[in-house]
Amino acid sequence: MFDHGQPSYAEVNKDILSVMLETGPRYWMLLGTTMSVAVIFFFMPWFYQLIVGVGAAGMSRNAYWGTYLSNFIFWIGLSHSGTLLSAILHITNSPWRKSVYRSAEAMTLFSLMTAALFVMVHLGRVWFVHWSFPIPNQMGLWPNFRSPLMFDVMAITTYLTASSIFIYMGSVPDFAAVRDASTGTRRRLYTIFSFGWRGTAREWHTLGWAYTFFAVFVIPLAVSVHSIVSWDFALSIVPGLHHTIFAPYFVCGAIYSGTAGIVTVMYCLRKFLNFERYIGQVHLDNLGKLLLALSLIWSYINMLELFSSWYGGSSFELEALKFKLTGFYAPLYWEMILFCAFVPLLMFFRKFRWSWNKMLLISILINIGMLTERFIIVATSQPRKFLPNAFGFYFPSWIEISITIGSFAIFATMFLIFIKWVPAISIYEVKETLKPLRRDA
Amino acid sequence: MAIMGTFAFEEDFLAAAEKLQSSGFDNISLLSPVPLAEAQKVLGLGKSAVRRFSLAGAIIGALAGFALAAGTALVFVLPTSGRAIITIPPFLIITYEMTILFGVLFTLLGFHVVSDLPAWRDRPYLPAANIDRFVVVVEGAAGEQAARAEAIIRQAGAEEIHHVEEDQ
Repeated sequence: MFDHGQPSYAEVNKDILSVMLETGPRYWMLLGTTMSVAVIFFFMPWFYQLIVGVGAAGMSRNAYWGTYLSNFIFWIGLSHSGTLLSAILHITNSPWRKSVYRSAEAMTLFSLMTAALFVMVHLGRVWFVHWSFPIPNQMGLWPNFRSPLMFDVMAITTYLTASSIFIYMGSVPDFAAVRDASTGTRRRLYTIFSFGWRGTAREWHTLGWAYTFFAVFVIPLAVSVHSIVSWDFALSIVPGLHHTIFAPYFVCGAIYSGTAGIVTVMYCLRKFLNFERYIGQVHLDNLGKLLLALSLIWSYINMLELFSSWYGGSSFELEALKFKLTGFYAPLYWEMILFCAFVPLLMFFRKFRWSWNKMLLISILINIGMLTERFIIVATSQPRKFLPNAFGFYFPSWIEISITIGSFAIFATMFLIFIKWVPAISIYEVKETLKPLRRDA
Repeated sequence: MAIMGTFAFEEDFLAAAEKLQSSGFDNISLLSPVPLAEAQKVLGLGKSAVRRFSLAGAIIGALAGFALAAGTALVFVLPTSGRAIITIPPFLIITYEMTILFGVLFTLLGFHVVSDLPAWRDRPYLPAANIDRFVVVVEGAAGEQAARAEAIIRQAGAEEIHHVEEDQ
């Protein structure tokens, strides 16, 4: 599992904590850049949109949903990485997850936060967001729990809460390690964060049980979250969206893009935080195989979607299908098929799965394809409902494009802040993969 | 007073813990940098009570979720084509989400209650226990008992022995 020899227990503490405790100018420059991009590309255009109204976006009377919602689905999808690696691989007792799961969980959390931001941006009058929460207000307007949008509110707030608790609880022993390695205010802060953790057998025992229960709760939650996101579309009667396959399609796509996202993040952690010792070939190879399997499932579901539209014989469905395959956005559709169905087949070959640079490229292409997929779902269906006189056309405005770019900077900013507050690799779980401290080891 | 013995090897640490346990010392803590199933076995830790919290949370969440959706529908009636006001399929989704939410929150509560964290006072601890050493702590020992505990720990191969006042 370790490419450059097995480290000692003390070296694990030193290597992982040094990333947190020692900060060079390169980090500050990077953080400054991502924050600036986030402000200029995301917050300033959003502020402009708040002033002039949501009409500044490319949405119109026949296209009420646009890039903001496709980005929302994309970021929710990316969040499924942490759940897969952390919870499923924890339950199935896969030791290779231990070096990579903390960052995957962080991805989950920050992707969800970014997704939640897109709901705010899409709302227009964001100051009324509390109307969607299940609290009575002065207008007597209670949320309608029969609407999939309300399912979304419940599912995403639950997911956000559960993922925050999941990542926090797994980090408590490592917070104690930070406490022990630091002084002054940081020490006081991490004394609080670690709850006074000592690593007694009783504490480990309780954490083990609690963590397993968190995992057991989080897995069906993650499946429900993206199923519910799919129902935002599938429960409508819009041609191109009204498919029963949508829930598994969305869940599979989410795990697919999330796993590709992990490969990208792993590359950056390895390259820029010098974690070559902990994130090795075995992780890349396993992630590659996982991605390959997911790409095949994703391709199969895509074929099913096309088949059911064609076989159903509804003229509206056929028209939606024709527009998707040959209409204005057809190049994007075929780009998606190329990046998400064909390019991943390269991972059948070990030389691709074992090369960090090639895997980085494949992972980025997959996520470009997945971002496109979400755009196609929104842009090619809703503006072309039933009769031609109701047809509209959606094209994103510069504000939407800018906010989309800015969202990646927001995610990167949150991740950069995270690595200075939480050990990016789980210290105690990496130690579990080392030889035990026994005389005979 | 608490006596702390530091060990470099797992088997020495476990031997000391077993010997202390069989000699009648019941107020011992076993500190380790990684979870050790054997240490938990020495202390007789079986199924954790956390699971009861999780179950209780899930049941309360399910009831609360359905009550929230059904109660809201009854308070703010939205008749739709003569369909039932309390509609089971969509409300089960809210019930499902709330089951998980409360299950997670109660598991968190269970963790704190069962592990006795956060700790409101300083307890005997050595930072090495979070790096690469195993530490046996015997709490509340005094006089001859303390000497006996120290002898057991030393005999098991402790690297160092520390005496700590417990109300430090």
